[in-house]
Amino acid sequence: MFDFFDLYGYGPSLLRGLWMTIAVASAAMVVAIAMGLLGAAAKLSDSRTARTLAGAYTTIVRGIPEIVLLLLVYWGTQQLIQDLGSAITGRDVRVDFSPFRAGVMTLGVIYGAFATEVFRGALAAISRGQIEAARAAGMSPLKTFFRIQMPQMWRFALPGLGNVWLVLTKGTALVSLIHLSELMRQTNIAVGATKKPFTFYAVAAGCYLCITIVSMIAIHFLERRANRGIRAGVG
Amino acid sequence: MNAAIDIEDLHKRFGALEVLKGIDLRAQNGDVISIIGSSGSGKSTLLRCINLLEVPDSGRLTVGGETIGLGVNRKGEPTALDQTQVDRIRTRLGMVFQNFNLWTHMTVLQNVMEAPVHVLGRPKQEVRDLSMALLEKVGIADKADGYPDHLSGGQQQRAAIARALAMEPEVMLFDEPTSALDPELVGEVLVVMRDLAAEGRTMIVVTHEMGFAREVSSEVVFLHEGKVEEQGTPEQVFENPGSDRCRQFLASNLN
Repeated sequence: MFDFFDLYGYGPSLLRGLWMTIAVASAAMVVAIAMGLLGAAAKLSDSRTARTLAGAYTTIVRGIPEIVLLLLVYWGTQQLIQDLGSAITGRDVRVDFSPFRAGVMTLGVIYGAFATEVFRGALAAISRGQIEAARAAGMSPLKTFFRIQMPQMWRFALPGLGNVWLVLTKGTALVSLIHLSELMRQTNIAVGATKKPFTFYAVAAGCYLCITIVSMIAIHFLERRANRGIRAGVG
Repeated sequence: MNAAIDIEDLHKRFGALEVLKGIDLRAQNGDVISIIGSSGSGKSTLLRCINLLEVPDSGRLTVGGETIGLGVNRKGEPTALDQTQVDRIRTRLGMVFQNFNLWTHMTVLQNVMEAPVHVLGRPKQEVRDLSMALLEKVGIADKADGYPDHLSGGQQQRAAIARALAMEPEVMLFDEPTSALDPELVGEVLVVMRDLAAEGRTMIVVTHEMGFAREVSSEVVFLHEGKVEEQGTPEQVFENPGSDRCRQFLASNLN
């Protein structure tokens, strides 16, 4: 059935790679959203410690190239834990990060820094009166956050969050460097074996483009839903 | 019988500016008190102090016999001692804002049902019936499933009044409820407020509508630079004010 996608026998492995890319991207996006919500809450909190930590997080992560962070986390921390473990226990300690988990965590933490700024801006965009009305009705700050601020925040956050998702999807290509069998790595393997770089890189490019186009359509519908009740051109 | 609201020697400052300089005000059940005064006189701040949207620096605030514990936090800012007490007292005070502040992501009906269901924990079906009755009463039952942004200002403010009433509050607080409305929409909101007053609801209204203050209030309070400058029945305040400032204010606002 996949004859047209046989590609010198490498079609199925590319499809598996595509699937892995989507899995890594989706899992990393969940981490990024969680980190972003935490980061934004910290940046807007009354606690100076929380604000400082969140500020350090976004500055450091956004200031270092993704590829350096990825290699630092995957190889560097592995080494660090092994050396520290050996020094403390006096025995040979070996840890092996799964490339999937390392990739998801690293990408999640990196794009979580961008999501932090998106959420911070979105929360700040909610008018003061919306929150006052909730507080005046007796809602606790926590309930106000979940019933009023969160649902309204998505409307302001979705365009920025959609952007984070698109960039993150392409960022997954970096994870091939830590030997995770996602689309880019499978493509490289196929190119190495068949010596047909144009064919395979073009197919990979098409795959990434497909993900992007499908995502943009999904984002469009999510935005439409988030903007329910808001007249176009107002607010 | 306890006073609905009892305010004693209330002070509030924003930085170096003292906005309220010792206010005493008492509302008995069934009173309709209009607070008038020029902008900057502190009238909105006074109203917002009653439900702790602004925390007074000093003074005593008692709602239905329950005195709100006030103190100072670590940064030296005034703060309520017990946030759960504040939240509880707020459920007994209905607030209507100048800019309506209906929640934009909910329909009108959802706006009205939100707090009774999610703050008071009342059963949904019961609250739905009450909410529809209230929307009927303010004349916008047909807009129940519409979103606030699709309503006129007058309709939004009437929805906001229904939302406040749905909590079955002891006192309704109105913060310049008609000031953000186009002139032709002011009347429909005032009609609703007159009906509430006629029902014997306890209301405290910060307003620029002198006609409303004069005809509907049981008491009018004129604030000037953070102090009560004139206070009495509408007849006293409007016909025979003792203070020059009040006379000047009325002269420039009555027509």
